[in-house]
Amino acid sequence: MKKYQLGEFEEVVMLTVGVLYKDAYGVSIKKEIESRLKRNVSVGALQTALGRLENKGYLKSYEGEATEERAGRPKKYFQITAYGKRALEYTKETREELWNAIPKMALSLKVVG
Amino acid sequence: MKSTKLNNPPSLFLRFFRWFCHPKLRDSIEGDLMELYNERINEMGKRKADLKFIGDVLLLFRPGIIKPTEGYKNLNDYGMFKSYFKIGWRNLVKNKGYAFINIGGLALGMMATMLIILYIQDERSYDSFHSNSPVIYRIVTDWVNPDGSVRQHDGTTGHFQGPKFMEKIPEIVRAVRLQENMMTFKINNEVSDLTVFKVDSDFFEMFSFPMLAGSPKTALKQPGSIVITEEKARLYFNTTEALGKILDIKVDSTFHPYQVTGVVRNIPSNSSIKFDFVVPNIVSKDEYASDENWFNFFQNTFIELHPSSDPRVVEEKMKKVYEADASVAIRMMKEKYNVTEKTNYLLQPISDLHLSKLYTASNGLKDASDPMYSYILSGIALFILLIACINFVNLSIANSLQRAKEIGVRKVVGGSKINLTIQFLSESFVICFLAFALAIIFLPICLPIFNSLAVKSLSFANLINAKLMLYYFILFAATGLLAGLYPAFILSGFNPVKTLYGRFRFSGKSFLQRSLVVVQFSLAAFLIMATITIYSQFDFLTTYDLGYDDKDLMMVSKYPITKNQLKVFKETLEANPNILGVAPTNGGEWRTVAKVNSEQEIKFQYNIVDNAYLPLVKIPVVVGRSFSPEFTGDDSNSVLVNEAFVKEASWKDPIGQTVNFWYRNQKYNVVGVVKNHHFNSLSQGIAPQLFLQKPDQIFGKVFIKLSGKNNQESLTYIEKTFKAQFPDFTYSYKFKDDENKQQYQLEARWNKIVLVSSALTVLISCIGLLGLAALAAERRAKEIGIRKVLGASIINITKLLSINFLLMVFLSFAFAIPAAYFASDRWLSTYAYRVNFSYWTIALTLLITVGISLITVCSQAIRTALANPVKSLRTE
Repeated sequence: MKKYQLGEFEEVVMLTVGVLYKDAYGVSIKKEIESRLKRNVSVGALQTALGRLENKGYLKSYEGEATEERAGRPKKYFQITAYGKRALEYTKETREELWNAIPKMALSLKVVG
Repeated sequence: MKSTKLNNPPSLFLRFFRWFCHPKLRDSIEGDLMELYNERINEMGKRKADLKFIGDVLLLFRPGIIKPTEGYKNLNDYGMFKSYFKIGWRNLVKNKGYAFINIGGLALGMMATMLIILYIQDERSYDSFHSNSPVIYRIVTDWVNPDGSVRQHDGTTGHFQGPKFMEKIPEIVRAVRLQENMMTFKINNEVSDLTVFKVDSDFFEMFSFPMLAGSPKTALKQPGSIVITEEKARLYFNTTEALGKILDIKVDSTFHPYQVTGVVRNIPSNSSIKFDFVVPNIVSKDEYASDENWFNFFQNTFIELHPSSDPRVVEEKMKKVYEADASVAIRMMKEKYNVTEKTNYLLQPISDLHLSKLYTASNGLKDASDPMYSYILSGIALFILLIACINFVNLSIANSLQRAKEIGVRKVVGGSKINLTIQFLSESFVICFLAFALAIIFLPICLPIFNSLAVKSLSFANLINAKLMLYYFILFAATGLLAGLYPAFILSGFNPVKTLYGRFRFSGKSFLQRSLVVVQFSLAAFLIMATITIYSQFDFLTTYDLGYDDKDLMMVSKYPITKNQLKVFKETLEANPNILGVAPTNGGEWRTVAKVNSEQEIKFQYNIVDNAYLPLVKIPVVVGRSFSPEFTGDDSNSVLVNEAFVKEASWKDPIGQTVNFWYRNQKYNVVGVVKNHHFNSLSQGIAPQLFLQKPDQIFGKVFIKLSGKNNQESLTYIEKTFKAQFPDFTYSYKFKDDENKQQYQLEARWNKIVLVSSALTVLISCIGLLGLAALAAERRAKEIGIRKVLGASIINITKLLSINFLLMVFLSFAFAIPAAYFASDRWLSTYAYRVNFSYWTIALTLLITVGISLITVCSQAIRTALANPVKSLRTE
């Protein structure tokens, strides 16, 4: 079942892109992750992840406006594709299945223990 | 925000980042970095922001971000080409009719050219399949007059040349003489005459005819051996394992058993040496001793040289050997027959044999061809291809109006002239490729038709050939360039401002377009005139009054037939009421030389006949009398001559003149003169001819006149009679009128070839004209709308639209008529009896060409004229 390959950080990035919806570009994603998950994200790690996700077809990008504080460089906005959405759903479902399986496992462990 | 503008991150690291980053990511990431950097300055000051910036840059230095080493840019313009092809394809689909004309025409032209390439390649491949073909030569002769001019080129040799030259000249490795003979076979009690090659025993070592059974070295060593082909082995023995089987062949009137000592694979079609049976050539000691045989030429001799030797040197040596060995014979010939010409022996490479005009492949060598055929055929193919290319050029330019805006936009956004040229060239290549593919698909289908026209047996297997494919690829590329270069050049030169302004009209002078149409129709008219000329000459030849009656005149070959045998045969046959008469003559054409007016030598053809001959073939006697049994001396000293003979001898009163056959000491008196008649092909004039009788003549051929009623029944009767009387001889017959027609096979063939090609050129020219007319009508739609509104009639408008095209067609005649006249006249001058290039030819061609183009152009013009003007005027 290696249908949808999605690493932990990649999942976080994708979910964040989803959260930011129309406003997901490099800096905003980085900030969102940093503020929500309280962890540091380097530009390099983020860009690599974004690139990889785009290659996989989970994200698509388009160029946005160039502002002064960006020294005239355009923003690159990201959006989740339908395929990307399915990948997220799949990941979520597998997690839930695992969660649902835990109580039984715990019970049986107790019996044995 | 304003204050941030002055802050710059550490430039070294920024530059480092710009250097390593993948260009596709560079801008957006740099933007992110700058945004963060500016924020951080505000939050924590420049120093910390710088450090963080450096950290970010270093952390960005990782595989997903760094640009690939082999370059990131598409180094080719693949993307652009993709776009060109896409646009080209869409244009094709949009203008389906235009695409059809272009692709169809080019495909026809390419196919014609491909067939001709195939033809030429086959012609050139003759005899090159022998593994040692570079060192095989045929000994040929030049007969040189005392003044140094060459009287005759001859490909034949005799008994001596091969063995004598080989004996004295060390460079000659092998010598093989090749003599074609008819031999009578008896197979399963069925007697038939078949062609047999008598050759020297090295034959299969010199030539590469692979053997399925038997050994090439020894197969022909023993007298009485015979080597047969795979095909004949299957026919007679039902197997290719035929070694040791027996075939009965008649030698000196009795049948001898010949043992099969080899079976060879069927002979390739591109071989000048084509045989079914090969037997060893045995030359008797007597013949080999007679020096006169240096002057007996009747067969072909091939020699194989040592690979390192120079044929020129060998030729020199041959000359020396000949002069030394034949000195007695040369002197004798001079004394006896007054032969003053010198014989020069030369070497002809075997690969030159097939297409040689000087030393033709004859006397048993097959398929002699003239390179002229290749030239004419390639000329015709190029005509067709050229006409198709002209269609392409004209239609592309005429159609360019639709593309003008596209060209303008492309130029405005930065397309250079070269880009556009490449674009239009690639479009023409797309079209050419489609045409090419179509031609390749239809090639095998058209091959049988071409084979029957060109008398070839080319097969699909001939097509699969690397060299040929290369030629075809070159053809494709050349056509693409020829058709595409000019339109590409013109279209890419459009002024973008004009095209976009909206009032662009590519009217130019369209001088080139018009001249190309004129070229097309000149070619078409030329070919039509050629067709008509060839047809009328062919018709003339086949319906010409030959001066004798060849209807229901049958010829049966039988050699020898004595007078007594003939008498029995004749009496049996004439018992049948449908057989009107029987008369014998000698087999083949006999020529000789005799003296008249005491010393004048005269060359003529002569026939040995009997009393019945002249009345039977209805050759009228104009002066004197015919042979008659009433005159007893007729069978030994009377001759009849034809009018040409009288003229040649310049006799006022021919009766009673003497013809002196001095070399056999016989004199004949002329008793009558027959009317000139055409026994030979009409390409030759009527030469002097003579008829004589001999008391104990053995004849070779019998003419039988049928009544024309129940011919089939008469034929069976004759066959039965023949087989009963001559069981050991082959029965075969021919009708004289069929034979006469067969002489003009070549004309009939060219008639067909030129007819097909002129039909093709007219067709392609006309569809091109159709396309042009349609485009012209479309372009002038508004004008015509206005004219109609103002009251122009349909006839007015039709005239307006078609007059230009018709003028061009008429103009083309100005070029075509002189060209056709000269070509026809040159061709016709090879015939002694010929038609003249007539006004009818021109008139008929004019009618055909103008008629077809009128229909083509007017159909478009009328359609436009009939259209509702509202439609064309409403759209802007």
